[in-house]
Amino acid sequence: MTAVALPRPGRRFRPARTVRLEIKHSPVVWTLPALALIFYYDTYRTALGQTPTWANYASLINGHMLIYICVVGSGLAAWAGAREGRRKTGDLLATTARAPWARQVTVLAATAFWMVLAYLGETTAIYVQAARVSTWGSPPLWPVAVGVVCTVAACAIGFTAGALFPGRFIAPIVAVAVFAGEFVGFKAVDNTYDGAYGGGDSTNALLVPGQGLPHLLEAGVFYRIPPDVYVAQLMFMGGLLLATAGLLALSPAARVPGVRGVSLAAAGGRALVTLAAVAVAGGVAAAATAYAVAGTAQLNQQTGNWAIPALHDAATDRPVPYTPVCASAAFRVCIHPAFAEFLDPVSAALQPAAAEVAGLPGAPARAELAVNWALPAAAGTTSVYAYSGTGTGGVGGSWFGGPPAEIIDAYWLQGVQQGFLFWFVDGAAVNASGNPDPAQQAVADALLAKIGAPAPDLGPFTKAGTPPASPGPAAQASAAEIAAAARRFGSLSTPAQRAWLTAHVAALRAGRVTLAEVP
Amino acid sequence: MTAVKTPSVPPTSSAGAASASRARLTAGARLAWLHLRSRRGPTAVLALAACAAALRAVLHWQLTAGGGLAQEIPMIIEAGAAVLVVVTTHSPFGEAERATGRWLPYLRLGAVLALTGAAIGLLQLGATGAALNDGVLTLARNVIGLTGIGLLTSLVTGGLLAWIVPLAYVGFAEYTLAEAWRAPWMWPGRPPSDRGAWICAAVVFAVGLLAFAVRGARTRLADDA
Repeated sequence: MTAVALPRPGRRFRPARTVRLEIKHSPVVWTLPALALIFYYDTYRTALGQTPTWANYASLINGHMLIYICVVGSGLAAWAGAREGRRKTGDLLATTARAPWARQVTVLAATAFWMVLAYLGETTAIYVQAARVSTWGSPPLWPVAVGVVCTVAACAIGFTAGALFPGRFIAPIVAVAVFAGEFVGFKAVDNTYDGAYGGGDSTNALLVPGQGLPHLLEAGVFYRIPPDVYVAQLMFMGGLLLATAGLLALSPAARVPGVRGVSLAAAGGRALVTLAAVAVAGGVAAAATAYAVAGTAQLNQQTGNWAIPALHDAATDRPVPYTPVCASAAFRVCIHPAFAEFLDPVSAALQPAAAEVAGLPGAPARAELAVNWALPAAAGTTSVYAYSGTGTGGVGGSWFGGPPAEIIDAYWLQGVQQGFLFWFVDGAAVNASGNPDPAQQAVADALLAKIGAPAPDLGPFTKAGTPPASPGPAAQASAAEIAAAARRFGSLSTPAQRAWLTAHVAALRAGRVTLAEVP
Repeated sequence: MTAVKTPSVPPTSSAGAASASRARLTAGARLAWLHLRSRRGPTAVLALAACAAALRAVLHWQLTAGGGLAQEIPMIIEAGAAVLVVVTTHSPFGEAERATGRWLPYLRLGAVLALTGAAIGLLQLGATGAALNDGVLTLARNVIGLTGIGLLTSLVTGGLLAWIVPLAYVGFAEYTLAEAWRAPWMWPGRPPSDRGAWICAAVVFAVGLLAFAVRGARTRLADDA
């Protein structure tokens, strides 16, 4: 008889092979074609119709795509988590060498692997397209980090639910609950933005990762988007992930049958028990802290960005320096390089309009893109016409809400001309009153007719502080009178028009010229 | 040799026929009840009631107010009800069940019809008195159509994973709703009076129901719940 020295079994946890096997046999793979189809229609095609800036494109990866990733990921993770209970193999697997928590972590990791891979693949596709059309800036990485953590958190929540409540209904229930919860979150975010502009509503909903398109077309262009909200989202999602992982480790699902006490004790892991408890407590604390700080967020009306005081760096409120690109033409038109594709159409539209008023009092020397929602300074007080790309301002105007090739047409160009000429004759009071007065409208209509642009269809004139007049015979007669005055002014010779404008444009802007006084 | 007293054959009579008929009905009801229980039918009804409560909560807190969201969240809840019905198609007995008598297709048919009706009824109960966008007709159409999609999916994936395709379809429907698609095969986004949408949903449900009743959900050795 020979004594044989048996090698002591290794105690190191080597999950690589197990994870590879789980990845290989994961059912998530079969859902990737469906996800790709939804991505193409809902996210990619939507991206093709957006303003070509990095921030707009980046908003789609969490505002459109992430919800479907989380729904499928949480549902299939619940399916994977319920596997042992569904197949009633818990007792059998308890006899294996690995601790239950190690076994479950590998299954969760495999599910999360595929979902994160799908998310990163779709993000890459969006960013590749953005790189092709953007003329300025760089890909934002904060939204990607938020998306990855949110995806893993959704998988962890689903997996834990499946492990705790194994059965045939848990997977669809988790998926539908995540689906509905995301849309409820979107509604809450919309309310937050409505409240920000109207005053009042809570800002905790900013924790929802998918906030849809940015509420400002020029987001991330003139001012960097501060990471405050992203940090809060990471804190919240990370807290949920940590708490869920700890809960899973402490749950009966990870318990070795026949062993009293909490689950990890049988694996010799009192330290792991403590760690899991700390993870739950820490995760809840992190999520609660994120919820609390998100409630203090304030919208900066100048930059258009959310700032959370506890996380905010004042340096991000400084404007981003840039060198404008300008068109070589008689009337100098400049634009931010991020919107360089709009320069030629804007310049082409403004040249004839600027020529109509060149040399008159208050005529601008050049045009530049206004910053965010900023209104242009009143004509007569500045030599620069600040046109808006966000559609703010008085009559007409330009709007950069899509790819230039899709949105620029004759109507768009005429809007640019209307915006310029009405700005020239309106003066400072137009934005307070809402519409130009009849004399201003008649003169602007006549100038537009000279360059072949139609007169805009405006409502009745209202003075600041008064309710708008209801349309009726008086308003209709006024429209006819305005049109007659415009024709009358337009029939004058160009020298006569310019002479009258030189003498009366200041009074016209001040609202002191009546319709009858227009020649 | 042992004399065995054989039981006497009772004379044929109307009372006996009625008794036999009652016995058959009782046996049939018990069979249907056991079939539903094996599919976790009572649990599904409880889950459907939870869906109805969720719909009620959504309508009560006006989470459907405002543009596209008016239909989106109810559509998700209707999808939830449909996938709960679909998941009950899984049989815990596997292929062995197919070797039983001739009643299995009828049991499958009746179970799905009963649960679909329960889903529509409970959801409508949850929406009673509240302003559900497009009303009960759209609710019923969505549940019917999505259940049909799920039944067809169960022939390929089995009952336990048949919830994936209906939810993916609803995900795509959310996009078409926002884009105002008019295709009848995207019935969740169509108004209740759209005949084409009704036809599409009804055809999908009928085909799925018939195929499921005849073939049953796909079974695999690994499935057990």
